[in-house]
Amino acid sequence: MSKDIKISAKGVDVFYGDTHAIKNVNVDIEDKAVTAFIGPSGCGKSTFLRCINRMNDTIDICRVTGDILLENEDIYAKSVDPVQLRARVGMVFQKPNPFPKSIYDNVAYGPTIHGLAKNKSELDEIVEQSLRRAAIWDEVKDRLHQPGTGLSGGQQQRLCIGRAIATAPEVLLMDEPCSALDPIATAQVEELIDELRASYTVVIVTHSMQQAARVSQKTAFFHLGEVVEYGDTDKIFTNPEDSRTESYITGRIG
Amino acid sequence: MTDKEHIVSAFDRDLAAVQTLIMKMGGMVETAISDAARALELRDVELAEQVRKNDKQIDALEEQVASEVARIIATRSPTAGDLRTVLTVLKISGNLERMGDYAKNLGKRTSVLSEMPAINGSGGALRRMVQLVSLMLKDALDAYIQRDVALAEDVRRRDGDVDQMYNALFREFLTHMMEDPRNITACMHLHFIAKNVERMGDHVTSISEQVIYLVTGGLPEEDRDKQDKTSIDSALGKV
Repeated sequence: MSKDIKISAKGVDVFYGDTHAIKNVNVDIEDKAVTAFIGPSGCGKSTFLRCINRMNDTIDICRVTGDILLENEDIYAKSVDPVQLRARVGMVFQKPNPFPKSIYDNVAYGPTIHGLAKNKSELDEIVEQSLRRAAIWDEVKDRLHQPGTGLSGGQQQRLCIGRAIATAPEVLLMDEPCSALDPIATAQVEELIDELRASYTVVIVTHSMQQAARVSQKTAFFHLGEVVEYGDTDKIFTNPEDSRTESYITGRIG
Repeated sequence: MTDKEHIVSAFDRDLAAVQTLIMKMGGMVETAISDAARALELRDVELAEQVRKNDKQIDALEEQVASEVARIIATRSPTAGDLRTVLTVLKISGNLERMGDYAKNLGKRTSVLSEMPAINGSGGALRRMVQLVSLMLKDALDAYIQRDVALAEDVRRRDGDVDQMYNALFREFLTHMMEDPRNITACMHLHFIAKNVERMGDHVTSISEQVIYLVTGGLPEEDRDKQDKTSIDSALGKV
């Protein structure tokens, strides 16, 4: 059963000044599935992830060529407003980074600036739904007006996921979302990712091979700016095609 | 498959150690089979007894392999070729353990058979069958060490010959029993021995298939020729 393609990258190259960081990447990312990007540090996986919601626009020396299509629309077209794009393609970062505001305001901020709620009760509804989906509602429902920064690391990360889904995005990009979390919080976030894939297209960058194996359906292995191998996670972790993939996932030098 | 070393060198040592156990086990099973066959042919009850006793060590090695594999999976989370290595080791050790059991059984029956008159011609045919299986086992273990798919495929094909030899012996024992009912007890034992050697061939075949899986990540597709047709033939009254 082949799924719909949500994001399609065709011949993508990225340069930081003279450095050729991403080389001719062609990847089709499935809708309502989790795709993992793995690879050694500096292989370009985060750089490529950041292309998908044009986060690299904020870096002056960064230049992106090739096409990235979100539902067949070129996200680098002149007509596309990056701010609107980022509402459709949300992002969760390595370190939980809640705004220095209340838990409620953290989640309400996005929907407010994008005008997604007509009144206070609609906004309340969005906040509750987002926090429920982020599997943190029960833990914070009685302290919504306390600062988000007062939560534990794992709770903060789930709050950030709640904040990311509050703008009703279609795609969620996650850049090492569990690297600052303990194993229990990591398991909770992984469980959440598995639930989220029913509603969103999730793309996750992770240094933990086991995490990629656990949460994703598709895996892309990046090496020196290229996608060496891209395919079903089951296949990549039991019988990869390329010896470089095998060397990396089995923990060998290469 | 890649032959590069792991960054964590203890992982390499773990994998090497468990594969050494398999080779040790394989060597012991080879010895058990040839000793059992020799004991049968020479009516050497002492050697047969030795084979029976030695089987305990093979069983102990299988347990050791299983606990090592469990430890490697728990502590190293093997993937890809490493994962296939530990899965393969576990299955092969099971095959070898069963082969050891058959050799032990051969030893037991030798003790009984040595009390009875010999059946003409059966010794040589059984010996050739055992030699065939022993050579298959040696080649299967070599194929494992060398990661040699072609050799493993060859071993797999040769199991057809073992099946044919078993069919021939089956008919031969049947004839002896029909000729003289006093042969029945000995022929029954000899038949079980032939059947057990035929089963050993199946376990060697399974080992070869594990080698193919280890190297290619897939099992061979086409079914082997089924040469043991005694069950069908006897039902159809053809024997």
